Amino acid sequence: MSDGWNEIDTDLLVIGGGVAGSLAAIPALEAGLKVVICEKGRLLDHCGSVGCGVDHYLTVMDSGPEWDTPEFLIKHVPGLTDGIVDMAVTSKVIHQMPRILKKIESFGVDFKDPRIGDYYRLRSFGLPGTYHINFDGTDFKKLIGQQVRRGRATVLMRTMGVQLLIDDNRAYGALAFNFRTGEWFAIRAKAVMLAAGEVNRLSKNASGLAFDSWHFPYNTGDAHAMGYRAGAKLANMEFIESTLTPKGFSAQGLNALVSLGAYFVNKSGERFMFKYDEKGENARRAVLADAVVNEFLLGNGPIYVDLRHLPEDELDHMEATLQVDRYTMPAFYDQKKLNFREDLVEISVSEFSIRRSGVYFRGSGLAVDTNGETSVEGLFAAGDCATVSGGIAGAAVLGHIAGEGAVKRIHTSPRSLPEIDREAAGAIRAEAMGCLGRPDGMPWRELEDQTRQTVTDYVGVRRNDKGLRLALATLHALAEKEPTLQADDLHGLMRVYESKSIRLCAELMATTSLTRKETRTRSAHRRLDYPETDDRNWRKFIIVERGADGPAVSTLTTDRPLADAFGRAPERGEADVGT
Amino acid sequence: MSAPESATHNPIDIDPGKCVRCDFCDWICPGDLIYHEDGNKEKLPVVMYPDECWYCGLCQSICPADAITIIFPEEMIHNKTDVVSLLGKVVK
Repeated sequence: MSDGWNEIDTDLLVIGGGVAGSLAAIPALEAGLKVVICEKGRLLDHCGSVGCGVDHYLTVMDSGPEWDTPEFLIKHVPGLTDGIVDMAVTSKVIHQMPRILKKIESFGVDFKDPRIGDYYRLRSFGLPGTYHINFDGTDFKKLIGQQVRRGRATVLMRTMGVQLLIDDNRAYGALAFNFRTGEWFAIRAKAVMLAAGEVNRLSKNASGLAFDSWHFPYNTGDAHAMGYRAGAKLANMEFIESTLTPKGFSAQGLNALVSLGAYFVNKSGERFMFKYDEKGENARRAVLADAVVNEFLLGNGPIYVDLRHLPEDELDHMEATLQVDRYTMPAFYDQKKLNFREDLVEISVSEFSIRRSGVYFRGSGLAVDTNGETSVEGLFAAGDCATVSGGIAGAAVLGHIAGEGAVKRIHTSPRSLPEIDREAAGAIRAEAMGCLGRPDGMPWRELEDQTRQTVTDYVGVRRNDKGLRLALATLHALAEKEPTLQADDLHGLMRVYESKSIRLCAELMATTSLTRKETRTRSAHRRLDYPETDDRNWRKFIIVERGADGPAVSTLTTDRPLADAFGRAPERGEADVGT
Repeated sequence: MSAPESATHNPIDIDPGKCVRCDFCDWICPGDLIYHEDGNKEKLPVVMYPDECWYCGLCQSICPADAITIIFPEEMIHNKTDVVSLLGKVVK
């Protein structure tokens, strides 16, 4: 290979082999196209956020009752999102849910509960129906991975995409490196799919361990950062998401707890959730987290989850499925010597993520149109890095939509791929490898720790103008130090890239938080200096993109789809986005 | 070295008496923490970056010899953090 580059030409390049990326690859493989997937994990069957398993899946099924129709759920989406949501993309996602559910079942995933021989569906998080299928998804990702491998995709494992290739606002590939072997790849593609998940390791949590996070700590906003640098527009970056976790272990499992009927109580034994929402423990995640934040600030902590009132069969079911979302949860309770049948479980507010602010369908990330395409032509996004996000189901459905969109883009864009600017590519590689020969440089951990402390103190659940400006000054100063970052080895070089993505996303969050002069969705965006929700002035998307001097912010009223800000001519038939 | 002090806790305990020196834990770790030379039947896998563990237990779940135990550190099991300290500072 010339200049030490492994050069690959393909049709679709997918960055991130989780659920969204895998579901995007499938339509392209079915269309007979060549697909390359870059994935930081080693096994496609076990990589991404649910490589360990998943226990719930949100979907309409069109099973008969009105609540189970797409139209019914769509009608409730503005209320679920406090009016900040791209209805064009969301409507398409919800309409396609039953179809994608059947498609995933065809891969061998069994969503039915063997106890009842049917789907076991539960209500949670303020949704207006029992939309969550509770199931044993231990093999969920494995079966999806097998489907992709059957389609003969080329999977580059332990390989991180670091830089998109862009020509005249058109994506044509990416540069990537393998952090085990040190091989560098220059991949040209007719379409590129970003599916690298949300932004974690962003703020501090109870344990103080950066990688002890509710969501996958190896998802660090790499898609957001690559898209931003390529000129793509992002939206909803001002909102934070947090959850409630057993104190000391930031793990998944809140959905199972609340849908099975857990209570939350404060230090006085008071069941307080109904003070904050008429749905009590069944309120939206953003409301649950906000209620606990408030209870702590009122001095009502410690806060506990109480399961002791639940019937034995529900407790048995919970115990039997405790390890599905997080395999080590039973070990945690064992080592803690805690029995949730008899003891209260002390909980904490988790660290913050940039994901979907504790509500369904309002994703924080790369703005996409109804084909999953970003404002950069040929660049697609899905999953928790895109502006419509709905957990694993959202990732699967938008992933598939974006995969079909990419196929369409590939077929309608016959132009040949541009030549890679070898000098520019060489400079990027040299800059990266320079981190390895800089023993006195700034460790990536230091950049991350300072970013986390700044976000925790000033960009979290109690924001104001002065604090946000202070945070931005710190984050800008940290950016100045990025050229001095050092890594001990290739693995560390991957972390260098991740820490830079985290810092950039923190800067985008602080910038857009400063713009939104209101409070919306409680502590997902609480401005102490603007404590009220202001629909008249702020029922708008805040869009951020790369400007001449850093992030440039604009707004768009939410009765229009984000794609209206793209300046791309709509295709014929695009107006009919609801079907 | 850039590793913080908390790196001294090893979350992934591999029993050398049980480990069959396969490559599964290296392959499945989502954080690229565990290193084992492919096919080397002599050497044990090494937990290279213990402070970057998610405590997901995928390594334990896939181990064919039941040789891995996940050990939570004290700050996770008996956490003493004041949660209010995580809820921000108000700049007047």
